[in-house]
Amino acid sequence: MHIVVLAKVVPDYLVPSMDFELKDNRAHERYSRMLGLYDENAIETAIQLKEKTSAALSLISFGSENDVQFLRKAAAMGVDQLILIKGQSDDAAVIAQNLMAAVKTLGPVDLILAGQQSADMDRGVVPGILAQMLEMPFIPQIGYIDSKGGEWAVTQITATGKRELEFKGPGVLSITSIPENVPRIPVVRAIFAAKKKPVTKLESINQGKMALTELGVEIPKTKSICEFIDVEDMNAAAKTLLTRLTEERYI
Amino acid sequence: MPRVPYWNIDFGIVMDLLAIPVIFIFLYGFYRQWLLIRQGKMRVNPDVGKMIQGIAAFQPGAFFVRGILNEKLYRKPFSGIAHGFVFFGMAILFIGTNLVILNVLFGLPVFNGAFNQWFMAFGLDLAGVLALCGVVFFLLRRAFMPERLKLPAARKGFVIACGLLGGILLTGFILEGARLAAGSLEIGAFAGNLIAAGFIGNTHALSIHTVTWWIHGLLALSFIAYIPFSPLVHIVLAPVNAGFADPAPGVKMGVIDFSSFESEDSEEAPLLGADKLSDFTRKRFLDFASCVWCGRCQEVCPAHSTEKPLSPKGVIVTMAERLSKGQLDEPVWDNISMEAIFNCTTCAACMEACPVSINQPKTIMKFRQNLVMEQSKIPELMGKAIASLEQRAHPFFGTGSGMAEWRKDLDVPFFEAGETEYLLWIGCSVTYEQRAQKIGRAMVNILNKAGVSYGILEDFRCTGDPAKQMGNEFLFAEIAQQNIEEFSELGIKKIITLCPHCYNSFTRHYSKLGGDYEVIPHGSMIQMLMDENKIKFDKKPQRITYHDPCYLGRRNGEYEAPRALMSAAGNLIEMPRHKNESFCCGGGGGNYWAEETGRRINQERAKEAFDTKADIIATACPFCLLMLTDGLKKCTEETKAFDIAEIVASCLPDVSRSS
Ligand code: SF4
Ligand code: SF4
Repeated sequence: MHIVVLAKVVPDYLVPSMDFELKDNRAHERYSRMLGLYDENAIETAIQLKEKTSAALSLISFGSENDVQFLRKAAAMGVDQLILIKGQSDDAAVIAQNLMAAVKTLGPVDLILAGQQSADMDRGVVPGILAQMLEMPFIPQIGYIDSKGGEWAVTQITATGKRELEFKGPGVLSITSIPENVPRIPVVRAIFAAKKKPVTKLESINQGKMALTELGVEIPKTKSICEFIDVEDMNAAAKTLLTRLTEERYI
Repeated sequence: MPRVPYWNIDFGIVMDLLAIPVIFIFLYGFYRQWLLIRQGKMRVNPDVGKMIQGIAAFQPGAFFVRGILNEKLYRKPFSGIAHGFVFFGMAILFIGTNLVILNVLFGLPVFNGAFNQWFMAFGLDLAGVLALCGVVFFLLRRAFMPERLKLPAARKGFVIACGLLGGILLTGFILEGARLAAGSLEIGAFAGNLIAAGFIGNTHALSIHTVTWWIHGLLALSFIAYIPFSPLVHIVLAPVNAGFADPAPGVKMGVIDFSSFESEDSEEAPLLGADKLSDFTRKRFLDFASCVWCGRCQEVCPAHSTEKPLSPKGVIVTMAERLSKGQLDEPVWDNISMEAIFNCTTCAACMEACPVSINQPKTIMKFRQNLVMEQSKIPELMGKAIASLEQRAHPFFGTGSGMAEWRKDLDVPFFEAGETEYLLWIGCSVTYEQRAQKIGRAMVNILNKAGVSYGILEDFRCTGDPAKQMGNEFLFAEIAQQNIEEFSELGIKKIITLCPHCYNSFTRHYSKLGGDYEVIPHGSMIQMLMDENKIKFDKKPQRITYHDPCYLGRRNGEYEAPRALMSAAGNLIEMPRHKNESFCCGGGGGNYWAEETGRRINQERAKEAFDTKADIIATACPFCLLMLTDGLKKCTEETKAFDIAEIVASCLPDVSRSS
């Protein structure tokens, strides 16, 4: 069995608002780079699946040569091989096409996992486009995955509830975060071993761009307004919090 | 009648001959202890010259002061005094017995004149009576054990040992009484005279004397033989352990060299931390063997005293039991829970309280290192903090505050190579935590006012201390190396720290990684500016109580500078637990990122501070400040907790506390 996980190296997605600065419409290059938030959940899910099914696990990333050092974390967590497509585009269709080309170099694959959305562009569309290109089913927001006699049983988790689904054959799943897929802290000897794991570097193909032009990017500064809720009684506090959030239309 | 050795005893030589195997058993017992201890790993110490038998450098001063005189015992006055009575009483009686032997062998005139009267008669009687009182105290305490002795388990063997001691002392008095009853009373021998006159008639004196002599002698020999096989082994091991203990105050974790992971197959590299007894060094084995199960550590432990699963005594006695049973390679996780290992705030209160100089936090931290670096096991919030440290070199994941915010509208210079004298090291909490940011702002105001040549770094990184405390030594080393490289490029030599954790890291751990700096905690810096008249302020009519941060006080011995500042700013009042006996805020050991079970440590400490009725609760650590601020919410809605820099800044003319 061969599982593929897709991941993207992004600039720090938790820079405090006042410190955040754009340069050429993107996060300033001085911010630390790291694996995307949901991508780490996807990697953790893939590793757990690999441990259960003894599958081979490959990671594919579209990005720059400099990203390899951050992708190594995935290798330390348990990914067997890293594939980097060297490219720069932010176009979802171009990225999907490059990912498809890389997937095809691997021969038959059984499952492709990706984070629910990238931590920089926040679109969550690439896995869907990729699934369509590969003619595979695409199911977003997956929490749990189980392999049952050649079939995949998955649980989709949305804001309102859960949906249990089953499908046969390969598919593309985007992974959401659940308590069970909190990314592990790689053990030290695995961090060193990861330095020796193979990294395949592929050249990108720059085709099929969407007919879009980016006119501007704006990141509003967040303002924090503090309101204390008395937590003497936990249940009452939870109720008050819920009411307040609903009143302010956050939920 | 002068005393005559072997008076009224036939075949006394038999007792002397019996002493020979007893001495062998005694020595064999200690040899066995050594065989147990030497199974520990040799300490990897680059300073090989100072190593004795792979343990550590031996400090004769500590052996005598902390091992023999042992001031710590008397912190519990009743048991301390009782122990003093027994220990020094028996020591004097032992000297007396040896003088008798010298008298037999070489005719040393010990039974003559004033020496006989004051030492051999009165002195030994007094020593015996006091020792007996001590023994009675200990027997009663075994009958009505306090919780610290009972939980998680009481050590067996103390009752037999006390019984033997009591027997020796009682038979000693009867023996003396019988001797005096058969002859004449002796000035000075008040206890012997009393027994002779009150209980032993002339008729049976000789036979009582003979029988008691044999019982007394046999009890004494049994006692000596029993020492190395009983809890009394601590008579020797405790001072030895004190002698080999690290002379620096507090826990010193050292740094790990990861180069073997680079060079060889990392699967083959040595185990990190410990998950079984055999992973520990000889010094830790000596710790385990020395433990007297007194539970003093447990009693002062902030985790244990707030109903968390950790008991430092529990950890040490688990290891001690394994050592005595030779279970070197069985994993410990059935007996010591992961939760307990992460409960430790590394506050070192246990070390401070331990009468036999055991380093409990080091054992706990070794387990933690193994959980994190070998097994990838860590509580969720701590895991997030570690992940954040790895990704963005600070542990405050998801914070809304940062660099730009803490120095908003402030004139803060950047460190310039060759120009600036001091690096003002801001630290992660002051950079990324809104409440703690005010400490940085206050310090900047003070330094600006005093005209100090200082600067901050343009880009910020944590010292790595939280990673170290959470057991991720590898991450600590990586972050520390990056900082050291940057400091070298900028030619940084002097550093002012706002956080005792940074101070501790720079002074104790960076130096081992090649970074040597003159590091000064902000309290000491402010005191220096005050002494040099560079800042001046008037005392305010305010009562201030000061909470000692564990990493400044117990770990680095700095108690006075912050107190001097607070006494200058107001009237200092102390909490019941202060200085070296201070109670942790609960935030150490990475527990700032813990989901606490049981009662909250910070609320306990905040209550203690609040109960002093002080107007202001001062501290000198951003983590303590955050924990106390939070803990105080249970007592009051008022903001009472402040850093010493904030308090000083608020006393300076033209600078307000909330700046
Ligand atoms: S260091 Fe502090 S928290 Fe840890 S075991 Fe000792 S007393 Fe308890
Ligand atoms: S570690 Fe020290 S304080 Fe704790 S039980 Fe043992 S001897 Fe007592």
